[in-house]
Amino acid sequence: MLQCIFLLSDSGEVMLEKQLTGHRVDRSICDWFWDHVISQGDSFKSQPVIASPTHYLFQVVREGITFLACTQVEMPPLMGIEFLCRVSDVLSDYLGGLNEDVIKDNFVIVYELLDEMIDNGFPLTTEPNILREMIAPPNIVSKVLSVVTGNSSNVSDTLPGATGSCIPWRAADPKYANNEVYVDLVEEMDAVINRDGALVKCEVYGEVRVNSHLSGLPDLTLSFANPSILDDVRFHPCVRFRPWESHQILSFVPPDGEFKLMSYRVKKLKSTPIYVKPQLSSDAGKCRVNVLVGIRNDHGKTIDSITLQFQLPPCILSADLTSNTGTVNILGNKTCSWSIGRIPKDKTPSLSGTLVLESELERLHVFPTFRVGFKIMGVALSGLQIDKLDLKTAPSRLYKGFRALTRAGEFEVRS
Amino acid sequence: MAPPAQSQRSQSPSQPSGKSEVSDLKHQLRQLAGSRAPGVDDSKRELFKKVISYMTIGIDVSSLFGEMVMCSATSDIVLKKMCYLYVGNYAKVNPDLALLTINFLQRDCHDEDPMIRGLALRSLCSLRVANLVEYLVGPLGSGLKDSNSYVRTVAVVGVLKLYHISASTCVDADFPSMLKHLMLNDSDTQIVANCLSALQEIWSAEASTSEEAAREREALISKPFIYYLLNRIKEFSEWAQCLVLELVTKYVPSDSSEIFDIMNLLEDRLQHANGAVVLATVKVFLQLTLSMTDVHQQVYERIKAPLLTLVSSGSPEQSYAVLSHLHLLVMRAPYVFSSDYKHFYCQYNEPSYVKRLKLEMLTAVANESNTYEIVTELCEYAANVDIPIARESIRAVGKIALQQYDVNAIVDRLLQFLEMEKDYVTAEALVLVKDLLRKYPQWSHDCIAVVGNISSKNVQEPKAKAALIWMLGEYSQDMQDAPYILESLVENWDEEHSAEVRLHLLTAVMKCFFKRPPETQSALGAALAAGIGDFHQDVHDRALFYYRILRYNVSVAERVVNPPKQAVSVFADTQSSEIKDRIFDEFNSLSVLYQKPSYMFTDKEHRGPLEFADELGNLSIGEAAHNVISSQRVEENDKDLLLTTAEKEETRGSSNNGSVYAVPYDSSTSVFASQTQIESAISNPTTAGHSQHASFGIDDLLGLGMPAVPDVASPPQLKLNTKAALDPNAFQQKWRQLPVALSQELSLSPQAVAALTVPQALLRHMQSHSIHCIASGGQSPNFKFFFFAQKYEEPSNYLVECIINTTSAKAQVKIKADNQSTSQAFSTLFELALSKFGTP
Repeated sequence: MLQCIFLLSDSGEVMLEKQLTGHRVDRSICDWFWDHVISQGDSFKSQPVIASPTHYLFQVVREGITFLACTQVEMPPLMGIEFLCRVSDVLSDYLGGLNEDVIKDNFVIVYELLDEMIDNGFPLTTEPNILREMIAPPNIVSKVLSVVTGNSSNVSDTLPGATGSCIPWRAADPKYANNEVYVDLVEEMDAVINRDGALVKCEVYGEVRVNSHLSGLPDLTLSFANPSILDDVRFHPCVRFRPWESHQILSFVPPDGEFKLMSYRVKKLKSTPIYVKPQLSSDAGKCRVNVLVGIRNDHGKTIDSITLQFQLPPCILSADLTSNTGTVNILGNKTCSWSIGRIPKDKTPSLSGTLVLESELERLHVFPTFRVGFKIMGVALSGLQIDKLDLKTAPSRLYKGFRALTRAGEFEVRS
Repeated sequence: MAPPAQSQRSQSPSQPSGKSEVSDLKHQLRQLAGSRAPGVDDSKRELFKKVISYMTIGIDVSSLFGEMVMCSATSDIVLKKMCYLYVGNYAKVNPDLALLTINFLQRDCHDEDPMIRGLALRSLCSLRVANLVEYLVGPLGSGLKDSNSYVRTVAVVGVLKLYHISASTCVDADFPSMLKHLMLNDSDTQIVANCLSALQEIWSAEASTSEEAAREREALISKPFIYYLLNRIKEFSEWAQCLVLELVTKYVPSDSSEIFDIMNLLEDRLQHANGAVVLATVKVFLQLTLSMTDVHQQVYERIKAPLLTLVSSGSPEQSYAVLSHLHLLVMRAPYVFSSDYKHFYCQYNEPSYVKRLKLEMLTAVANESNTYEIVTELCEYAANVDIPIARESIRAVGKIALQQYDVNAIVDRLLQFLEMEKDYVTAEALVLVKDLLRKYPQWSHDCIAVVGNISSKNVQEPKAKAALIWMLGEYSQDMQDAPYILESLVENWDEEHSAEVRLHLLTAVMKCFFKRPPETQSALGAALAAGIGDFHQDVHDRALFYYRILRYNVSVAERVVNPPKQAVSVFADTQSSEIKDRIFDEFNSLSVLYQKPSYMFTDKEHRGPLEFADELGNLSIGEAAHNVISSQRVEENDKDLLLTTAEKEETRGSSNNGSVYAVPYDSSTSVFASQTQIESAISNPTTAGHSQHASFGIDDLLGLGMPAVPDVASPPQLKLNTKAALDPNAFQQKWRQLPVALSQELSLSPQAVAALTVPQALLRHMQSHSIHCIASGGQSPNFKFFFFAQKYEEPSNYLVECIINTTSAKAQVKIKADNQSTSQAFSTLFELALSKFGTP
């Protein structure tokens, strides 16, 4: 099992060290690791599992912070990786984002959290709701509270009730004056479009996010109008499997607050909401670029914050690109980004210009991939629809809310 | 007194200059220690924070130990936690001072707040100071009986920590049976899981000495217990579920209906949000159905979707781990994933390690129906900005071409690559065209037409250049300019830095000469002259060889250098199927990521708690050497340094057809396998170190696993030491110094020949006769052993070299002895032992 966890800053400095077992792991492993990372170079992100001469290392990098775990025994690799991912999630949740300063300022909390999340190298609980009951997050409210009351401990006085209950994700008995539950469908569209405009791959990854503030032990059922389109589903531990298997109904006792109820994929979609038509033609040391963007299928909802990004090939000396809508920026690392926003009614946004190639090059041989971003409120592009949400023994006043949102995930157009 | 925190804050806390700050802190802590003034906790907290931040950035603050302990009398839980953290970090280096902390920790173990009880107990067990274990037993005992489940959870893990500090204390206090009771009766599943993990470790470690522990360990994988866990699996935390599932894979169900029961119970685990749970479940499914071919195939279909989802929805790190596992599955059942190939298309933003695995997947799932799409997609990547990935994708196209029967379309693509005018694309494509031509000579006309247009000046990479030169030589009759291109290459001999290219150039000129003598003659002369003058040994030797064979007889030379070739049907696979099977057995472990079975890279002492089953089966010197030096790399270096080519072939051969267990065995022991290598080992300090370790390994194994049976049959005049030990260095020295005392040829019985399929069989047999092996190697029909034995209660050694040929059933034995007079007696003894080999 895991023997040690290090948190490294983006300059390789050890910010935190947590020894987990009797086999003490020397800090020098971090130096080895850092040399390894440097020798691999920046562009080459090194593998998540590496063998050092003495230990096997798991690494997960989030926001410039490297979470490094060491082990000498054979163990399920996903356990190490998943655990580190959870640690980073919990920390960024607690500290409101991750960066070097915030970790250094709150290292006591980080130690406390790690202490509860893993003991003797074996993960215990990573459920944020439970952790939050054991160790209060360092938010402004608690700071104000501590100043006012003079009680500056950020550890709650009571143990979480759920540690003893058989529903580990739910605190024993919250009470709310207003009972509310919100269900959000958040979808991301992943697509690859060929240079001739053909759809190579198009699928939607979606999540059902629930934010529940319900008193007592609420038992919810959620059903979809068209569950058959879902290709593969994964559930929060609170979802009962049998009702889903027999009737495609989600039946669950929710955790308190925000959580991800389920995730799903919808494969083999036939169309994308917008089209991007890049044209590149090069000769005599120059390359003409012309990109058109437009709406393909009108869903009746506005498509927002459309962006287009692409990496200029390294062999390009200079670029002169202009657009008829939105703004074009060429960043330092030769990334060209065109932010369009909404598509105007009267014209088709287009980007055009010339790229100047390096002197000895006649024609361009590498073609950039255009990454597209967009956001559509109020529609789930997979077509998934929520039918109804019921609460057994409904309280007198229950407010239910539904929302949907689709974003571009990995939306690529090749040229 | 004034809280000193204010003045400290002005200084930059991250840049302490060292000693003065520490002593300053010491002073301030001391002032606060006895104070009961209001607000003192806040100042303490500032100070503690500073101490811990120093500790974290690596400044030694252990000198503050006493003061920290004095300040620890507080009711503030954060202060306590910081103090526990500090104490846990420095107790091991300050065992005397650690005693000071026992008092307040023990007091906290009786606090009314369960959280403090738990925390104190955890810290108490984390001190890990051997002479303090007596203070642990009491608090642990009451912790296990605590009314609060949090404290019990901590106490269970504490028992395991205690076991690692002092196994005997833990067992004497009867903690294992208390854990067992908790495991079977506690209502909190976290406690059950912690008990399970602790007991697995404790009983596995105890099993070698205590029969009861071995029985208990077996009971963990008994039907009632497994079902006890399975029926409650949904109540376990996700991590505990992984543990339970891992245990279930060890369970052997009695019949097929039981298998289906278990799979039904676990089916919804495949939908779990935690990837580790999903993968552990997949492992259970695969292991359970290994013997049921039809169901096994259905299982592949069932697990496919969850795994693919994990790949596409997780973080890149998770995708990487899952893809490695998928790759393993695809190798076993390519058709299962062949319709899902689009999942393995690379996304622009993915890190290269994920892309690389995806390329491998695309290569593996390609079949007649999807080749066109896959190759089209791969060709997109060839123009990728990421050059290493572009190269990999071209190679992937080539690999697919070599797998498929229908290669028309692929050849066209490869030829397009050649025309892309990018140096690395051309280079990769050239290498591929060469391989392709070796398999499909019928394509030579199309390919050669394109290859002939490539200017050799544009090809710089040695591998590609060598490929181009090979084609020039092989197809010189079809390429108009071949002799002249070769000639110009020979002219620039001195500018060619790669020996590989020069070797190929020599051979190509030879081949060209046989086909078009008049045009090539001058180039050949120049090449041979340059080759013989070359400073590289291989190039020099090959040139000289060509020169002499040409002088001897030109037609013989042609037969040697340019014989008619048959198309290569299958290229040698790099990994044997046994290794893959072995990795498959270790599904859901690091083995899969490294693509090596765990015995090839982990230390034995660190292997998982239940990895005991085949240890005895693996008992061999190679293992031992391995386990002492964890680093696989050291061994591989040795292999490369020491093995002659012939032996490399042999090792490779054995990995293809031999038992999988013999692979590491051969590779590490052939280091000692012959006289010459023993000498080279002496001249090489790393190997000497290696062999020394090996001998310690042997000692361990002899002392531990295999108590040698005193030999009743040996003649009374010569009694051998059953636990003889000899350092391999000493053995090598003696072997060189001593004269051969006796040399004889012995016949082997047919049973013995039958029993000797791998060298290990004889080793174990001879060990039971107090004759120990120091090195062995070879494979059927030729084996070579070095044995040694020691006279009982006398430091007199016998050294034996024994070469056995199983086809002729003869053993060549050479004996050397410290004391020559007893060598005859030993020889009889050896003969007797050998003659019993194979008899039951």
